[in-house]
Amino acid sequence: MKQSCKTVTLACVQQVFNAEFQNLFSTSAPTSVRLLAVLKARPAVIMSSSLLAVSKQKLALRVSQTSVRYIGRQESGGDPKNDIIRRALYPSNIRNRPSPVGSWRPDVGRRLQRAIPSVQAHETIERAWFLHQRHVRRARASELQRKFESVRNAMETLRLVAPDLYVEANKEEDPRARSPAETDLLKKLKGPEKKAVEARIRGLFPRELRTPTDTPPRNGWTYDFTPIVRPS
Amino acid sequence: MLSRNVVSACRQRTRGCLHAPSRSLASIAEASSSAASSSSATKAVINAAVIVNRSPILTRTSSLFERAYYAYQSRIRRALFNPFPTEFYFKTGSLLEKKFAREEKLREKEAFGGPWSLKRSDRGSEDDGELGSIQVSPDQADNMGEEPIEPPASRIHEADKEGDVKSLDRLGERNLYLLIRGKDHLGKEVWRFPQGPLQDGEFLHQAALRDLQAEVGENMDIWVVGKKPIAVYQPSLPESTIKSLAGELYTFFLKAHILAGQARPSGKNVTDFAWLTKEEIEPRVEKDYWASVKDILSDH
Repeated sequence: MKQSCKTVTLACVQQVFNAEFQNLFSTSAPTSVRLLAVLKARPAVIMSSSLLAVSKQKLALRVSQTSVRYIGRQESGGDPKNDIIRRALYPSNIRNRPSPVGSWRPDVGRRLQRAIPSVQAHETIERAWFLHQRHVRRARASELQRKFESVRNAMETLRLVAPDLYVEANKEEDPRARSPAETDLLKKLKGPEKKAVEARIRGLFPRELRTPTDTPPRNGWTYDFTPIVRPS
Repeated sequence: MLSRNVVSACRQRTRGCLHAPSRSLASIAEASSSAASSSSATKAVINAAVIVNRSPILTRTSSLFERAYYAYQSRIRRALFNPFPTEFYFKTGSLLEKKFAREEKLREKEAFGGPWSLKRSDRGSEDDGELGSIQVSPDQADNMGEEPIEPPASRIHEADKEGDVKSLDRLGERNLYLLIRGKDHLGKEVWRFPQGPLQDGEFLHQAALRDLQAEVGENMDIWVVGKKPIAVYQPSLPESTIKSLAGELYTFFLKAHILAGQARPSGKNVTDFAWLTKEEIEPRVEKDYWASVKDILSDH
């Protein structure tokens, strides 16, 4: 199979490479071993051992580009799945066609021309979008500011009017704490009722607070609800 | 976060007053506070009210500009995509590959075939128009033996079409607030938030929940957000009313969320209720009441 090559040419490398691959994949192997074989049989490793032999010969001044080119579709020997996986994992670096890896994209300009009206138009659109985002952000921030001012004003009024209530309102909720009334109640309850009381933790968001979705639940709002006694 | 800032701000203010009496600013503040306390020598009558909020169920509808921009961006993305390795993901010649090819063609047509279509304004849930046109047809060949997918529920509920203000399914995108029709401090029938007096030894958040349940029933799963009041309403009362009530009237509002259930007013003091958005509340409510409450309601 190996011919004596006077110069390291593409054809030479190809032959060497083909030979090595055929040796490796001649025997049929079980599926689990197959993938390992594909991964282990890295082109670089194969090529190094054979290239050494080739490179000992007289080298030309200009070395042609070493490219990775695999055996075509030799389905007779092995599983086509192996070829497909190999082609996905180790894509060819020959620059003649755009590939999923995206290493060579000569047509980007043309495709962009098709997609956008012009550079100026694109920039205008981008500016309009950022302006719109700024409006949205400002509106949100101002609404939050108004809400905060309302809370602060209310707390200040409470402080002047009812200092004891103010002190209580300022107390931080400890999620781990349980009032004596709660512990007494939990002793009496069982099953789902107990779970319902335990689940609602003071100072934390309840689980039932639903995240907004694109479409509503099929059954809509739950109007039937039996009250649960929860001591605050 | 916000609550902590408020707390720290309040604490610092009080600390400044207490620890530096010799400084001129603090002495002025002390004088003013003492003056204020002497003027309101009568006890203050405090009411606790609850603003019950039904949070949005649905995501917001994108505006026309937003949808146009997303369509434009998806077109650019599609133009700059690397070729998709179909041979890796689909078996050559399989049904799935054909289905994918068909869907890809539709997507390509959608992105480049023409301007983003304006007739999709009611279905604003799709941000880029790509997925909107893909419909899984109930053909057997298309389905490949899969069960037909039920279409999702519509964003517009019956309550929207009828304008049923008592329904909690109405206007899924917006924040709805519970407003009840009952007597206010002057005995007049007005639209207001549920409120009630404080009992002895009770705290604000306890009183708020109790008053809410007294007025609107217990068939609601309510979560009170925190102990701090979010707004305060102090009506300007004539002297006679102040004397009869034995103090200035303050109504402190607390925020709560409804998670399940429905309001069932007892009927004694409360005649009617409604779940309304901010714009719908404004015309129904008294002017000074609205001034105290408008900042706390969400615009959306």
